Amino acid sequence: MDTSIVMTGLTNVFTFYNIAAILGGTLLGIFVGAMPGLSATMALALLLPLTFSMDTATGLSMLASLYVGASYGGSIAAILLRTPGTPSAAATVLDGFPMSQQGQAGKALGISLFASFIGGSISGFALLLAAPLLGSIVVEFGPIELFAIAVLGITIIGSLAQGSVVNGLFSGMIGLLVSTVGMDLTTGTPRMAFDNINLFSGISFTVALIGLFSIPQALSLVENSNAPAKVASRITDRLIPKWGELKALMPNILRSSGIGVIVGLIPGTGGDTASWFAYNEAKRFAKDKSRFGNGDPAGVAAPESANNAVVGGALIPTIALGIPGSSATAILLGALMVQGILPGPNLLIDYGDVTYTLIWAVVFANLGLLVVGLMFTKASVMVTRIPDGFIACAIIALCIIGAYAINNSLFEVGLMLGFGLFGYWLSKAGVSPAPMVIGLILGPVMENSFQQSMLIGGGEYSIFLSSPIAVVLLGIAVLSILQATPFFRWVLAPFRRRSQMA
Amino acid sequence: MKTNKKMFATILTAAIASAFSYAAQAEYVAGDDVTVLQGFKAGGGSDVLAQLAQPYLTKKLGVNFVNEYIPGATGAIAWTRLARQSKKDGTIISITNTPMLMTNYIMNDAITYNIKDLTPIANVVTDPGIAVVAKDSPYNTIEDLFAAAKQKPGRVTVGNSGVGGDDYFTTLLVERASGLSFQKVPFQGDGPSATAAMGNKIDVSFNNVGTVYSQIKSGNLKALAVFSEQRVEDLPDVPTLKEKGIDVVAGSSRGYSAPAGIPEEARKQLIAAFESLKTDQAFLADAKKRALNIDIVTGDDYAKMFQDMETEFQGIWDDVSAKQ
Repeated sequence: MDTSIVMTGLTNVFTFYNIAAILGGTLLGIFVGAMPGLSATMALALLLPLTFSMDTATGLSMLASLYVGASYGGSIAAILLRTPGTPSAAATVLDGFPMSQQGQAGKALGISLFASFIGGSISGFALLLAAPLLGSIVVEFGPIELFAIAVLGITIIGSLAQGSVVNGLFSGMIGLLVSTVGMDLTTGTPRMAFDNINLFSGISFTVALIGLFSIPQALSLVENSNAPAKVASRITDRLIPKWGELKALMPNILRSSGIGVIVGLIPGTGGDTASWFAYNEAKRFAKDKSRFGNGDPAGVAAPESANNAVVGGALIPTIALGIPGSSATAILLGALMVQGILPGPNLLIDYGDVTYTLIWAVVFANLGLLVVGLMFTKASVMVTRIPDGFIACAIIALCIIGAYAINNSLFEVGLMLGFGLFGYWLSKAGVSPAPMVIGLILGPVMENSFQQSMLIGGGEYSIFLSSPIAVVLLGIAVLSILQATPFFRWVLAPFRRRSQMA
Repeated sequence: MKTNKKMFATILTAAIASAFSYAAQAEYVAGDDVTVLQGFKAGGGSDVLAQLAQPYLTKKLGVNFVNEYIPGATGAIAWTRLARQSKKDGTIISITNTPMLMTNYIMNDAITYNIKDLTPIANVVTDPGIAVVAKDSPYNTIEDLFAAAKQKPGRVTVGNSGVGGDDYFTTLLVERASGLSFQKVPFQGDGPSATAAMGNKIDVSFNNVGTVYSQIKSGNLKALAVFSEQRVEDLPDVPTLKEKGIDVVAGSSRGYSAPAGIPEEARKQLIAAFESLKTDQAFLADAKKRALNIDIVTGDDYAKMFQDMETEFQGIWDDVSAKQ
């Protein structure tokens, strides 16, 4: 791998603007994470249009550090308010809140911060090392292989849905359907555009994203704004943990970071899965299990290092293959698309400098997190006291500005509001918008690569079997569908019985 | 730092504008501010042209250029706005990209503007077309490629930057001139088309010199032929299609146009400003630094270029539609 682009990425990050963007992004992320009801995904979707006018490196640095910051920020609310600020901080509540009740809120936050920092840094370096390995095989990826990747990516839609698989598939189908709006790549004919010139280049995925993730959250904040305010515990002790304590937690943190990276790698699983997984493993390895749930520092360190380690892990398939594993990484991918960079294996070849800028930004965002976290964690308690109504208004205003900024046109604002109302209805119906976003992103990739493959193969479907990479990927896709059906249990039944007899 | 440079350029432009608005020999008749509609995102190819040319034009015309980005429908939204909804006083102009300007409405009835609604001012840059193959491709010359296409008609795969783009229509032109037929594979832009050629996923990519030049120099791609009038200075060993007896000259061009019916005096001043760029050494050196191939064609000649392209592409597209 060419080391020069790695260094170009590094120097891109090291400018005054970018370091400011990293610190600002992290701070914003911590605040957003600390506010229950605001997710990192929403904040990323809102920030994305604001980065249009920025330099590519600055914009990416800011988005990446917001993601990192929010992963830590979630633990602040979890520890002080007993409400996870983000879903991935749910496991942190178990031991974090008891610690704050025992007057150890500072210690809990400090451990969370250092665990987040270590987990995040490990995953950042994992990303840095893994990306070139995957990058070296990307020339092998043509339309046929891309089609297989897109198919595999789409099969994860079912698993992305929290709860009902049917709801997930429904949401994903709508995403695929919406993605067909616009010019057909192979014929140049506009489809489902109703002769509206604004729809010719398709529905911008950012517009849908802002509407789907931000408007419903703002509306539900308004709905609940009459609920009694939560009282945050006070931070009375010091934030920086003692070296001895940190050293004792080290094996736990390292193990949890490893779990985070690996869970992040698997598309469709994210911070929430990783943090519970790490929490359970920490408990299993602990000598004294009785302290878990009653304020064991290990119960804070494990989920927090894991959910920050997910960030780097989840970016590995996003960057190397163009498959976003979660809605948050989907937005980072969207940020690349906004800069005129198409997702897919080309990322590392054609846009190596930009891609490495993103990777380095993740690494340095963790450093920024440590600095900003030490300075502003106490201040972020104030954020949780802002009335929900104010936040909701600010979000809606930002949504409108953001949607307008995409193409400098009001058409997108209307479209965004339409998606917002649809997203609100979806959330009332218990349907997650995440599969829809994946459908929107992967739909065109799948369709275009299918058409290209058919053109290259002269109309023969057997072209998809001509590439070993495609065959393996399609095989995995088939398996991932089958394991969700009764058929799989039926196939495995004889083996299970045998192993029971043995 | 792009932002920095842009900011610097804006400040510089403003400074120069204020300094020259008094000193310039010919004050632009239409006003002090000229809005430039761009049909693509900031930072794209059109913007590169704007950042290059406008500081020099500011000096010559004593006006301030304000860029307005209206991306969507391959530029058609901006061009519809230019042709149909803009003041015809010379204060609003647009960057016009050919052949997209024509192919947009040739291919889609829903796009209603026409080159008749425009006042062509000047073409500024042309990126010639080029045929590239992977470094280990069995095709070493353009003759090899054509021989293969003759042997298996419709089976040699040719990548292009998308239906309606310049490379797509170039392929149609080559087919018509040579009597051969290729399998045309559209990609989303020049970059992916070149990458597919590099990985031997397609036999050849019809691309643009500006996009693939560095990959040719680094040896990842082999250039078979350029589609320019003369050989390209930086690629002296690559023959033109014309040398090989195929009369095709094609590429992707960018220039400036105003709405139809602007005052004659404003048109003349704009054209004169672009004419003077031809001999502006600082401008030419700046363009070379950005690897842009300057091809200044102004006024009636630019209008003829529009007209010729429209006739040519309308003809090809009618042929294609008739076959379907």
